[in-house]
Formats: sequence, structure tokens, C-alpha cells
Amino acid sequence: MPWYFYLALKQLFPSGRRFPFFTAISVLGVALGVGLLVVVTSVMGGFGYEIRRMIVETEGEVQIKSRALIADADRLVEQIERVPGVDAATPYASGVVMIVHEGRPAYPAMRGLDLTTVGRVVNLSHYIRLGSMDDLDDDSVVLSSELAQSLGVTVGGRIEVYSPLMIEKLRSDEIFLAREVRVVGILEIGHQQLDSSMLYCTVRLAQDLYGLGSSVHGINVRAKSGVGEDELAARLNASGLPRGVQAFSWMDSFEEFLWVLNLEKGMIFFLLLFIVIVAAFSVMSSLLISVVRKTREIGLLGALGARARGVAACFCVQGVLIGFFGTAAGLILGFVALALRNDIVLTIARFTQREEALRRFYQFSNLPAHTAPGDIILIIGLTLVISLFAGLIPAWRAARLKPVEAFRNE
Amino acid sequence: MSEPSLVLQATGLHKSYRSGDRQIEVLAGVDLTVGPGESVAIRGESGAGKSTLLNLLAGLDTADAGRLEWNGVGVTPSSATGLRNRFLGMVFQSFYLIPELTARDNVLMPRRIGGRIDAAARQRAEQLLSNVGLSDRGHHLPTQLSGGERQRVALARALMNQPPLLLADEPTGNLDERTGDSVIELLLGLCADTRTSLILVTHNPAHAAKTQRVLTLHAGKLHHG
Repeated sequence: MPWYFYLALKQLFPSGRRFPFFTAISVLGVALGVGLLVVVTSVMGGFGYEIRRMIVETEGEVQIKSRALIADADRLVEQIERVPGVDAATPYASGVVMIVHEGRPAYPAMRGLDLTTVGRVVNLSHYIRLGSMDDLDDDSVVLSSELAQSLGVTVGGRIEVYSPLMIEKLRSDEIFLAREVRVVGILEIGHQQLDSSMLYCTVRLAQDLYGLGSSVHGINVRAKSGVGEDELAARLNASGLPRGVQAFSWMDSFEEFLWVLNLEKGMIFFLLLFIVIVAAFSVMSSLLISVVRKTREIGLLGALGARARGVAACFCVQGVLIGFFGTAAGLILGFVALALRNDIVLTIARFTQREEALRRFYQFSNLPAHTAPGDIILIIGLTLVISLFAGLIPAWRAARLKPVEAFRNE
Repeated sequence: MSEPSLVLQATGLHKSYRSGDRQIEVLAGVDLTVGPGESVAIRGESGAGKSTLLNLLAGLDTADAGRLEWNGVGVTPSSATGLRNRFLGMVFQSFYLIPELTARDNVLMPRRIGGRIDAAARQRAEQLLSNVGLSDRGHHLPTQLSGGERQRVALARALMNQPPLLLADEPTGNLDERTGDSVIELLLGLCADTRTSLILVTHNPAHAAKTQRVLTLHAGKLHHG
């Protein structure tokens, strides 16, 4: 081990001292900054990640949408499934309906599923909390959990479904009765907006309610493993889709939202980085004091034959070591806080009696977190570079100190 | 390889400092030679320039004029940095031990700066600690040692790399008389045993008298006696 590295270690962790106060405070400052960065970037990343998971698991990676109705869905599904990278595709019909149960109305978004193909694209069964997707037929529906709760209906209950088609029928003096259907399942995805306002039925029921005939509104596409959603959407658009029909990756569909999310994440990262910079300034200040305090030792090192660059390296290494240990401690701190995040947030929410507001505002039943390896590498890299800079100025001061001046000042 | 005839040769060393408008000449042409194993004492009043001379001899400071040779090789402060680790050991009045290191690690420090610590180096450090009577105090920090013990550790450190020359700048200045005497005995004894040349700067005439040659720095020049 080079002498300057050894001496740097010894100055940070002196022999015979269990708690080196200066080192502990310096490391703690960096650790707090790194811990906060890890928590915040993970939570901000978690929102984007949860939205992706939710969309991909309920709609597939790519959605085929049309300005008009898609008339020959089966042929288009076959065409799409021939495109390399496509695992499976399923048509859907969608719209808004009014549902009533025991006089209580609600206006959920309806999604009509093709039961023969939907299972290959999305895994809604995974989110069923009561009942079963297998029981779904043309006279039944599956409701999202909060919608069912607000209506006071459960599996086995019956609801009436009204569609905008009825208004059209009324205009031509036709009577179109509400469709009475059974509730065969309660589904909970974990996203407040979806859990409060989704109704799933067969595509045939949706087509009946909207008078679509055999047409559909769009097709959901599942990508093969390892195929990127943007790449697949581009391939599909280049595969000769009918006029007016276009493929969108889930990111295209939520482009603005994801941009805002990334902007927020970037801004918060930038602001929190200042905590690390402030910590680095305190490290620099401590090391500068150390240079003054250790003037005679610096002189001694010169007298023992140490070169100025070795003396500089000794102080530089101290900055980097504080950064290294601070980063390690900060990562541990951050990951522990992330593991306990839901307990922490719920405790605060309970304490302030804002539990419901929290769920409504943040859409998720749990505080999401997703730690991207790239973010962690960036945090580690930036912290070490900042720590290195924190050590450079004291190192420069120490290197400039001539042994003879050090002894004379002493 | 034969032993060089002179370990140190200083010729016409000049050094002056500016103090306000005045130029104070501290050294006005100092000549000094030290042979292998020779011990030389330099005495002088406070402010006579003893420490300045020692710093020049150690290559820590630049002379205004004059020439310095170590083992027959001319040195400047820049070339001295590379040679100092192997060529000379230094003992100071204030010991200058590194407080974070144990006595043993302080002794090993010159070797660490000069290269790697191996088993032979550790063995030598133990031997030196034993020679200065501190074999059982190697794991102690400087704060756990008395003044005399610290100076003995500093002496062991100065001899770690087996330098041909040892410079001691008032090594007993911070010690009581009895401890100071014992440190000087030890210093001279170890230098004699290892044929290490010694330049001892001291105020104490009794200590100076124990060396082979006594010089006095006065009016910027060295005088015998």
C-alpha cells in the first residue's frame, strides 16, 4: 500500500481510537446526501416504473389505434402477429358507460376484451381479488375494486349498464333498455385511477352497447422478450398497417406525463446534489483545518523524503475515502429507508390523518420505488468526483508547504 | 564498493533573509566536511543560524550561494528530495512523531515512504525499538509515551533506513537534564555502533563535548571549539 494511502487511512481512522469524530461527521454529511438522492431518485423512478408495469400488464407494450373503427380486426390481428417481435395481439372495444346499482350511478371506462386472445397479451387474472376472469361472458362484467365498493356491489350482484347509444336510439324514438349484467369479478390493479373507474366485459358486450357490429376500437400488442416497445411500434408502423391505423408504444401514449416525471426527477436530483456539494465543502473545510493543524507533520514527511505530490495525494485520498465511505453508508441508509418507505409514509399520513388524500393524490396504494442501476452509478460517480475535488484544494495547500517553512512556522 | 571519503561536504554556504528593509545575513560562507562515522557538534547562540544551517545541509532549504555534496554527489533541494529518504535521518527538538501512528509505525514510516514494508523492515523496526529500550512500547501511541520515550522513538525512526548521516537539531531541548543525557548517550552510541555520521546542534556544552569535533556558529561562519 503506498505510504500516502496508508497515512490517509490512519489519519481518518487513527490507531487506538474507536470513534474518530471528524471522520464520522464528514462521512455522515456525505451519507445523508447520498441516502436522500437514492431515496428520491428511486421513488421518482418508481412512479414511472409503476405506470409502465400497470400499462404493460393491462394493455400490452404497444397499442394499435385507429381514427375510425377497425372493421376486420381478425385479419389485422393476424397481420400484426406476423411482424417480427410481436408475441401476441388482442382486439378491444372501449368507451364510457353509466352503471347503476340500487339507485347508485357511476360512470366508469369500459373495456371490452376478446376472451380467446386477451390472456396471451395481458394478465388481468393476476389482479382479480374476488371471483374469476374465467366466469366472464356476454352477460357479465368485472369491476375495479373501488368502483365496486362505491356502488356497494360484490361478486354475484347485478348492475344495469347504459351506453351513449341509448341517446341515439331515443332521438329516433326507439326504446333501448338498459343491459342488466352480473358482476363476476372484482379486480385491483393498485392504481387509484384505474381501481376507481374500470369495467371489463367481453368485446361482444361492448360492441352491443356501442352498436359497433363486429368492429373494434383498437388492438393491444404484447412484445416478445427483449424487444423494445419503441422499436416494435416503429416496426409495426412500417409493416403496412391500414390507412388511419397507427401503432403507439406505451411511452408514446404517456409521453408528456413521462417527460414531466423525468423533468421532476432531474430537477430534484439536481437540487439534492447540492446536499452532497455542501457536505463536500464541509469535508474540504475540515481537511484545510487539518492541513494547518498538521503543518509540522507535513514538514516531517518532507524531511523523511516524501515528495510534494505524495503529500498532496495523502490529503486527496482522505477526501476520496470520506466520499467512498459516505457513499457506502449513504447507499445503505437509502436502501433501508426505501425498504421502510411505506411504513414511514403511512405513519406520517396516519399521524396527520391524510391517508385517504395520499392514496387519491399519488394514485398508488403503496409508495412506488424503482432503483435504476444507472441512477446509482451516477450518484456514486458524482459523489466520488465531488469528494475528490473537496480533497484537491487542501492537497494543493499541503503540497505547497515547504518542510523548512513548516518547521519555521512551528 | 569503497566507503566515500566524505559523507557531507558544504562549501561557501550563504543564506540571508529580508526583514523589512534590511537584509540579514545568517550564513556568510559556511564550510563543513563530515567523514564517515564522524560526530560533529555545532553550537551557537539563539538566532545564530544553527537551524538554518541544518536545513541547508538537509537539502530542505536553498542556499543563496555555495555548494553541497552528499557522498560526493552535488545536491540541490529538488534533487535532495529523492535522495533524502536513504541518505539522512533527522531528529528534532519537538520529536515530530505522527500522532495517529503507533511508535512502531512511526519507526517504519521512512521505509514506507521509501518503498515497501516487508518482514525484514518490520524486524529492523523491532530491533531499533529494542536498541532504544522501547521493545515493549511499540504498540503505544505518541500520546502514551513520555518526552524521553518519544525522542527515542524519533531516534529509532531516523535510523530506520540506515542513513550514512544523521542530523539532530537540539534533540534534548524539550527534555529534562537526566533524560536529555540518556538520549544523547543513546544517540552517540547508536551512531558509533552503526558508523553513522552525526551532526548535532546543541546548546549544551557537555553534550557537545561528547562528539569528536565541536564547531561554533558565530557571525555566519563556523569556528572550531
